[in-house]
Amino acid sequence: MRTLIFATTIRYLTPLFLIFSVYILFRGHNHPGGGFIGGLIGSIAFVFHVLAHGPERTAGTYFQLTFYHQSRQEHYSLPRHMWQLLQANTWNRVKQGSPSPWRYYMLRVRPAYMMATGLLVAATSGFAGLLAGLPYMTGFWLPFKLPLVGGLGTPLLFDTGVYLLVLGMILKMVFTMSKE
Amino acid sequence: MQPYAEEGTQAILLYIRYQAKKYIEITVMLAAILLGLVTAAAAPLLYRWLGKWVVVPVALTPLLLFLYFCAFLPPVLQGQVATQQYDWVPALGINLQFRLDGLSLLFALLITFFGLLVILYSSSYLADDPLLGRFYLYLTLFMTAMLGLVLSDNIFCLFLFWEITSISSYLLIGYKQAEKEARVAAWQALLVTGLGGLALMAGLIILSIAAGSYTFSGLVGVRDQVLNHVFYLPALLLILLGCFTKSAQFPFHFWLPNAMAAPTPVSAYLHSATMVKAGVYLLARLSPVLAGTQAWHDILTIVGGTTVVIGALLALQHTDLKAILAYTTISALGLMVTMLGIGSAYAGKALLFFLLAHALYKGTLFLVAGSVDHSTGTRELFKLQRLGGPMKLAGLAATLAALSMAGVIPFLGFVGKELLYEASLENIGLLLVNMMAGVAFVAVALLMSYHVFWRRGPDKTPLQHAPALFLNLPPLILALLGLALGATVGIVPAPLLQQAYQVLGNSPGAEMKVGLWHGFTRVFGLSLLTLLLGLLLYNGLNRVREISTVLAPVYKYGPNALYHRLFELFLHGAKAFILKLQNGYLRSYVMVTMLFFCGLMLFMLWRDSPGIDLSKRVYQLQEMRMYELVVMFLVIAALVFLLGTRSRLTSIVVMGLVGYAGALFYILFGAPDVAATQLLIETLTVLIFVLLLHKLPAFTYVSHQFKKYKFIAVSILFGAIMTYVMLLVQQQAQPSTLKEYYGDSSYVLAHGRNIVNVILVDFRGLDTLGEITVLAVAALGIFSLLRLNPEKGDKP
Repeated sequence: MRTLIFATTIRYLTPLFLIFSVYILFRGHNHPGGGFIGGLIGSIAFVFHVLAHGPERTAGTYFQLTFYHQSRQEHYSLPRHMWQLLQANTWNRVKQGSPSPWRYYMLRVRPAYMMATGLLVAATSGFAGLLAGLPYMTGFWLPFKLPLVGGLGTPLLFDTGVYLLVLGMILKMVFTMSKE
Repeated sequence: MQPYAEEGTQAILLYIRYQAKKYIEITVMLAAILLGLVTAAAAPLLYRWLGKWVVVPVALTPLLLFLYFCAFLPPVLQGQVATQQYDWVPALGINLQFRLDGLSLLFALLITFFGLLVILYSSSYLADDPLLGRFYLYLTLFMTAMLGLVLSDNIFCLFLFWEITSISSYLLIGYKQAEKEARVAAWQALLVTGLGGLALMAGLIILSIAAGSYTFSGLVGVRDQVLNHVFYLPALLLILLGCFTKSAQFPFHFWLPNAMAAPTPVSAYLHSATMVKAGVYLLARLSPVLAGTQAWHDILTIVGGTTVVIGALLALQHTDLKAILAYTTISALGLMVTMLGIGSAYAGKALLFFLLAHALYKGTLFLVAGSVDHSTGTRELFKLQRLGGPMKLAGLAATLAALSMAGVIPFLGFVGKELLYEASLENIGLLLVNMMAGVAFVAVALLMSYHVFWRRGPDKTPLQHAPALFLNLPPLILALLGLALGATVGIVPAPLLQQAYQVLGNSPGAEMKVGLWHGFTRVFGLSLLTLLLGLLLYNGLNRVREISTVLAPVYKYGPNALYHRLFELFLHGAKAFILKLQNGYLRSYVMVTMLFFCGLMLFMLWRDSPGIDLSKRVYQLQEMRMYELVVMFLVIAALVFLLGTRSRLTSIVVMGLVGYAGALFYILFGAPDVAATQLLIETLTVLIFVLLLHKLPAFTYVSHQFKKYKFIAVSILFGAIMTYVMLLVQQQAQPSTLKEYYGDSSYVLAHGRNIVNVILVDFRGLDTLGEITVLAVAALGIFSLLRLNPEKGDKP
């Protein structure tokens, strides 16, 4: 499966898929779509990526944030040092493993945690109603609307929870199965 | 359904104000329970932060609670009752209703005071244990549950706490989890008391149906209605089953001696002073409602009496200090149940005084046994000699407690025993049983104090370490309390017990006159006789043990052996059943599910035999569009192809094709959301299969050709039945306003135009929440299965 064309295409398509999945999530309240469908689309994006590049690469690219840092060198001014840091963390990212003065901090997102977060978000979105003395899961909407996204409210939060849960579940499944 | 933001914030503010007022009103009995729960939850964390000093905050909780309940003493002594209510599930009558009267207060003080001492004691007893935090978690949880149990007025609330005590008891018995003995004992205790708990729940529900009331205070008022109700006997039997298992009555007594596998402070607290008395407590609480019938009297006196005799007999045959104490506890619990069965005014008094005296002296003796075990490393009676020298404080405590246990004036045990004799004077059989227990108690008291500490022997038992202060102080306090309360019996304990006695309702309003000295009555003579006989029994104890070895074969058929045999049988049965049912082939699961469903459907069709009228619907065939036909034929062709193919990839793709065709149908019939989901799921399934394809074994027809046709036949049957049912459903469409309601109110109430989504996340959001929770749990299960590697020898 790891043909060059497929791999390259997927590299560019995955972010598109993801944006589309979020879009589907938001439009779900008024048009076909929603958290479940959005989560499935998002996970399909990652499944393709895993197929093309392997699970380690996918985890490294999308579920891991690395910050590079080093203390200011003596002959560097502060703005220059900042510039260097910015450079290292954005377009001129330092490769790992090579001996360098850079220290790095990693932030990893595990699919299982994503599932848990989704469940938590979905379950807590209903507390807004409870706080107001109304039944659990009574919906509240903000009085304004955003372009593209539409109205914001607790049902949307609930749907986001569903999205995260579905995404996390399929990712975890795919990662576990392909690592075997 | 959705107020706008401004209204929302206002509502929130109002609600918070309202709640705050309500919380102050319901004040603190709920807070007492919550404090316990919070301490329990914090204990492991505190242990991590504070190390051995964790005992300070943990011990502070029972101390605070004890003082808090002490503050209730003046009003309760005047006969007032404190009540609090917090609605929980009002529709089902399940509310957090608390009620503090004399009986509850007696137990609450006992629980908190004992809890404090036991927590202090365990800080020394388990000083080097790395799991001390967890131990305090369980212990505090238990204390809280026990408090809730005695404070509950609502029967379901009581049941809830009842079960928590069973579970925390299980956790505490199995605390030394590395030892098989402890694990087995914990299981046993949980199964026996849990089974009793189930019976109790059924009994309480039946009782509430019969009485139409869910609170103890309400039940008292409808006594006649309950007694004459046809449900009286079943409710009584079930409740008694629950109480008997909890309070270790024959034939369920066997779990209690086995529970001695728990650390000694636990044995002292749960298995002698408090938890095992929960059954007695509930019986006492319900006696104004249920007592007074022949059934109540007979069952309680017979079961209680048998338990007394068995406990006393078995206690004398053992040589392990804790086992001896456990069996005498069983005997004592039997006495309490007997007293409840008698139900006279004397019996009520005897029950309460004996209960208090027993808690104090038995708790002391257990704690002393723990100290001895901790200091010398053994609990065997014959290895322990002359410990009085090095363990003076423990020896003193044990002696004081033993004197109380033997019923020597002026200890509280004396008062308890006098009253016990007094209560059973009229029934010669019960008096004999009572005397027997008394004699056995005297002998055991001599064993626990004189034999271990003071008797002159050839050599001293060496100590492994000097006894720590906290191992000796708590038992000494308890023992001294037994002496003090005995000496001041008319002044200090009597008023509280009087109030507790009012709850029993044996003869309401009766003034309780209790003094230490009654003059030379018949009962005093019996007391002296008991002491004398006890002394004789102690001297002849070795001979009793020799004789009792004859009884050994009988134990093979005792309840304990029976329990183990049943347990084994159950495990074997379950294993055989599972092996038959769960053979590991997905196809057979699917087939069984389908066949079962088909069977149910066929049964219903055969029973109701609904006619299906196709003639009126032929026109629908004419309305069929060309593209619908094309999709249908595509599916059929794909299926035929699927049956013949021998490649896994092909079959997956063909299955995907069938799925896509289904999605196409959804689109054609105007369900874009469902179609999208279907499409995506099909895609994902194919993708995941592809991902795994090269790891799967070669795709061969393992099953016989015959089996293949069998599967095809089952599939066709299933499909045919589904089609038939669908046609039926269409024919008898139920008129429903639901569709219109959702259609009309989707935008108005829920701000959404996509009805499917609005239903999912708003109208039926709770269902979705349940579904995603199930999804998450199922996923976790799948992952643990995926992690499993049978080739490495992992076991499922």
